[in-house]
Formats: sequence, structure tokens, C-alpha cells
Amino acid sequence: MNRILLVDDEPDIVRVLGISLRADGYQVRTASGGEEALAIFARETPELVITDIKMPGMNGIEVLREVKNINAETEVIIITGHGDIDSAIEALQYGASDFINKPVRDKQLAIALQRAQEKIHIKQQLREYTTSLEQKVAAATREIRRRSNFQGKLIRSSNDGIVATDEDLKIVIYNPGAERIFGYPHHSVVHRMQVQDLYTPQIADLIVTGVTQASGLQEFPWQETSILSENGDIIPVRFSGSILHEKGQKMGSVAFFQDLREIKRLERELLKAERLAAVGQTVAGLAHGLKNILHGLKGGSYLVDLGIKKDDTEKLKSGWDMIKRNIGRTSEMVMDLLTYSKEREPEFEDCFPNEIAAEVAALLAEKARESRVGIKKSLDPSIPQVSMDPRIIHTALLNLVTNAIDACLFDEDTGKEWQVVVATTLEDDNTIRFDVSDNGVGMSKNVRDRLFTSFFSTKGHRGTGLGLMVTRKLVEEHGGRIDVASSPGKGTTFTIHLPFEAAGEKKTTSRKIKKR
Amino acid sequence: MGKKVLVVDDDPDVRLFNVTVLEENGYTPLVATNGEEGKNLAKQEKPDLVILDVLMPRESGIRLYRELKTDKNLKHIPIIMLSGIAEKSFLRSQKVLAEFGDTPVPEPEAYLEKPVEAEELAATIKKIIG
Repeated sequence: MNRILLVDDEPDIVRVLGISLRADGYQVRTASGGEEALAIFARETPELVITDIKMPGMNGIEVLREVKNINAETEVIIITGHGDIDSAIEALQYGASDFINKPVRDKQLAIALQRAQEKIHIKQQLREYTTSLEQKVAAATREIRRRSNFQGKLIRSSNDGIVATDEDLKIVIYNPGAERIFGYPHHSVVHRMQVQDLYTPQIADLIVTGVTQASGLQEFPWQETSILSENGDIIPVRFSGSILHEKGQKMGSVAFFQDLREIKRLERELLKAERLAAVGQTVAGLAHGLKNILHGLKGGSYLVDLGIKKDDTEKLKSGWDMIKRNIGRTSEMVMDLLTYSKEREPEFEDCFPNEIAAEVAALLAEKARESRVGIKKSLDPSIPQVSMDPRIIHTALLNLVTNAIDACLFDEDTGKEWQVVVATTLEDDNTIRFDVSDNGVGMSKNVRDRLFTSFFSTKGHRGTGLGLMVTRKLVEEHGGRIDVASSPGKGTTFTIHLPFEAAGEKKTTSRKIKKR
Repeated sequence: MGKKVLVVDDDPDVRLFNVTVLEENGYTPLVATNGEEGKNLAKQEKPDLVILDVLMPRESGIRLYRELKTDKNLKHIPIIMLSGIAEKSFLRSQKVLAEFGDTPVPEPEAYLEKPVEAEELAATIKKIIG
């Protein structure tokens, strides 16, 4: 503040005060009456006005009112004479900042000026604070809006269906993703539906219990389920959700839905394509298997022809044996194919798994000896009599042990002492584990990947490429699973886990086991 | 005493068939049931012809074929491949091995895919070694 407008009708006072103020460093404008003062004020808007109260024409009060009218921030100091108390009170009401009495003393003036200056300074600071505060509020508001917009956009553009409720289970968020899955339009859901109206009872129960009961689950991990859309379609979805909390209070729920229709469709198509490919493979594999058998049959009939022609009983006999062997191979292959292609329910009956394993080992002992392979048994004596399908155990173990012996036979590292181990373990109170290990040739990853596919064989005339495929099918029908671990040159272990029931229980099916 | 023909096959039916065809046509058969045995017999007996299967335990026909065709004492012996595997699969496997750094080997003198008629086998042998 350094511009002052000084108003008084007495020229001497104006002059003396003017000199004094200028000496203090102020820019001083003077006026001898109210009208002149207002004209100058309007033009130059000085920060401070010092005006006499009693003036001919427009008096000091009127100057004060007009000045405050033009700029309310202006500080106005009133110069009063004796007996001007009433006017002084009026001046206060109109916002005068200070009074000085006539005759004006320098000290009094200085104090009034300092006070006015402080006031102006404080006002200015206040204005600056206010402006900065307003700017900050505006910026914060913008940021909040931006974030909320961002979150809104995120929710809107999410491919997943997102549905949120408040603590009264009323739906408050329902994004376009959810619209696509559920089919109900946004406006008929938000603030209109409760979870029970939109979700299947299964999902609604989870949410309702979670929100209303302390003991309810608060997080629902991804699970596959289905929902009912507006037009009654059952739509497969993946669902996950959680109960929302704020400061320990439950404030609602959110649920996410992934539409699985497209995935399921692709899965079906893939399955179909795989099935077609399998048919192609089956035909090719079958042709290969038949070629070997045909070769044997041709060889056999050649020998038989020779035998007849030369009346050579020995040739006749060996030719006939060859034909019979190949008829045998044909029938084995056909039986395997039938086993593979037919659905069969396991037939549970009481049996001793260890006995079956021992039986298989004994059955193949001769073949193993011929191939210079030892068979070792490691049977868990704690396995009791149980109810399982003994035929499945027998077939599976027979296939695996035969393979294990062949794996040794195909091993080119002739320095090894080949061994096949058949082991059983009581894994828990409803599973038995069977391991068939060998230290033979092992498998590359490529072979391991194709193990269970049809007609894949590395065994030349010995393999039909059906054994493992049939084994896996039987194991799965029994509710079990089969794993393989192998390293090239070191050997292979096949592991089967089969569920069982207590012996003596009524016959049951694999279905029941799977459900458990 | 006819020319010596080595039959290498793990399938007893194929061995018996091949041996009979050989005998009927006046050759002297030698028999090996796997690749390892086949290699030893080939070195020992220096046969005039080898009839070889592709898939066999204890050293496959693919390896034995390479060994015979890269051994300076044996590589002149003609070989008939007799297999359930298609000829192109066999040739591809040899090509792959060559690409992995093994010496390239010539194609076999004859390749017969099972099933084979006795007459066809006999004619093929005759064409190669007389």
C-alpha cells in the first residue's frame, strides 16, 4: 500500500498532511471535495482513502459508502472533529477502518496508517490463501473425478461381468460385461434387483451368507458354475467374488463372471477335431498293425503251401503255427480295440491287490528271463482285502510290466543288469498305488508326450500302439489316474493310483467313487 | 553251397519265412534276432546279402544299416530292408541322422514293405545277387 487519496475541504490541512505523507514515502493524491475525490478514486483506485467527515456538498460518510461500493477492499480512514460521535458510529457501520481526530497529529496518523496497512496486508494474504485453497480443491476434485472416471471406465470396459451390491444386497454396479452374460438391461437391474433376483440360488446363498453372517465366507475363489440368463439360457461361467469391507464394517459384495460359452464351444470343436484326427490315426495305425499280421499270415500260408507240395510235415506244422500265432495277434488287437472303444463300468469285487500283482509278475517271469531281465516285487503287506475291479488291475499291470520288459529289451546299453520292479503301496484309506519301474531304455519327451495316443508304438512288430491307451482308459474308468516319469537311458516308472472301497461292501460303480 | 544271406529280424515269424524262402531258392541263410547279433555275424561271416528289419530291440535296423554302410569291410554288402515302416520314413530317419552330423549313407539296394509275397522276395534277392 503506498497510494493514498486525501480528501478535505480545508486546503491547509490537505497541504500539511500531504507533505507529511509524501515524506513518509506515499504517493498522495488530494481532493477538496467528495465529487472530485470519487472521480479520482474511480480512475486510480488507491488502496487507502483518508477523508474529512464534514465537507460541503458530498460529505465524508457518502465518500466512504461510494468508495466501499466501488471496491470493498479499500481501507478508509475518517478524520473527525469534536462532537462527531454520531457520524463516527455511522461511518463504522459503513466499514470505515479507523478514525483520527482533528487536529491531526503525526503520531496518531502514523498509527492509523500502520493499522490500515496491516489490515490490507492480512486481507491480501487471506485472498491469496483463499485462491490457493480454491485451486487446490479444484485440482483435488478433478483428480477424484478422474480416478472415479477411470475406475468407472475400467469397470465398464472389463470383458468380465462385474456386479456389486451394497450392504442391503441391492445391486449398485452392473457393467456391460455382466449385461452380455445375464441379458438383463442395465436400467432394470441397478437399484432394482437384489442378488437373489439375478444370481442362481447357489451363488446368491454365498453372497447373502457372506454379507449377513459373521461366519460366512468372505472370499470366493474362481470356480466353474453356471447362471440363468434373462431368456432362460443356462450359461457356463467362471465365478469369483468377495465381500467388501470398510473400516471393519461390511459394505457390500462384488462378483466377477467370465463367460465360458466361447471357450466351451472351442473346447467342443477341439474335441471334435481331435476325434477326427484320432479316426485318421486309428485307420493308419490299424493298417500298420494289419500289415505286420498279414505278413505273418502270408509267410504262414507260403510254408503251408510248401509243406503240402513237398509232403513236408515239419514245414506244414511250422506254417500252420505261424498262421495260428497271427490269428492270435489279430484277436488280441481286436480285443484291445473293443476294450478301448467300449464304455465299461468297473465291476467291484473283493480281492487282494498284492496277489494280483504277484500273479502278473509270475505270468511274465518266463518272458523276462528270455530277455535277461529280472523281476522284483515290493508289495506293501498292510494292503488288506479290498473291493476293486481285479480285471482292471490285472490288465493294467500286465500291460505295464510287458512294456517294462520291452523297455529293457530295447535298451542298447548291454552292460546293464536289467530289472523290473512291481511295487504296491497303501497310499491312504481309499487309494492304492501301483508302481512299475524299469532301468531300461527310457523315453524322450517326444515319446512321453505321445504315450497314450492310439497306435503310437516304438516296439516294431511287438507293439500295436494300443496297450497304454487301453490301460489309461481302464484306470480312468476305475476313478484312478496314471502317471509316468522317465529319463532316456535310465529307465521309466509308471504309477497308477486306484481308489478302493472296503471289502464286503455292496458292489458299486466308479461313478460313485468319482463323486466322493 | 549257395550264397550266404544274413536275415536280421526280431520277429520269429519273419525269420522263419525269410529263411524258408532263402532255402527254397538255394541260398544259405544266417539268422540274427537283433542288431547287435546281426553286426557280429556280418563281421564274422561276410555274407553276400543282408535282409534287415527297421524296428528291433538291442540296436535298431536304422543304426545297424548305418554301421554296415560305413564300415569299409562291409559297405559293399547289398542290403534289402524289409519292414512294416514305410520306405520314406526310413529314408527320412537316415537323412535326419546325416543332418545331425553322421556320415550320409546310400539308399538300400532294395526296400520291401510288409506284407511281402515269397515270390517278390525271391525275385528281389535274385536281382541283386543272382
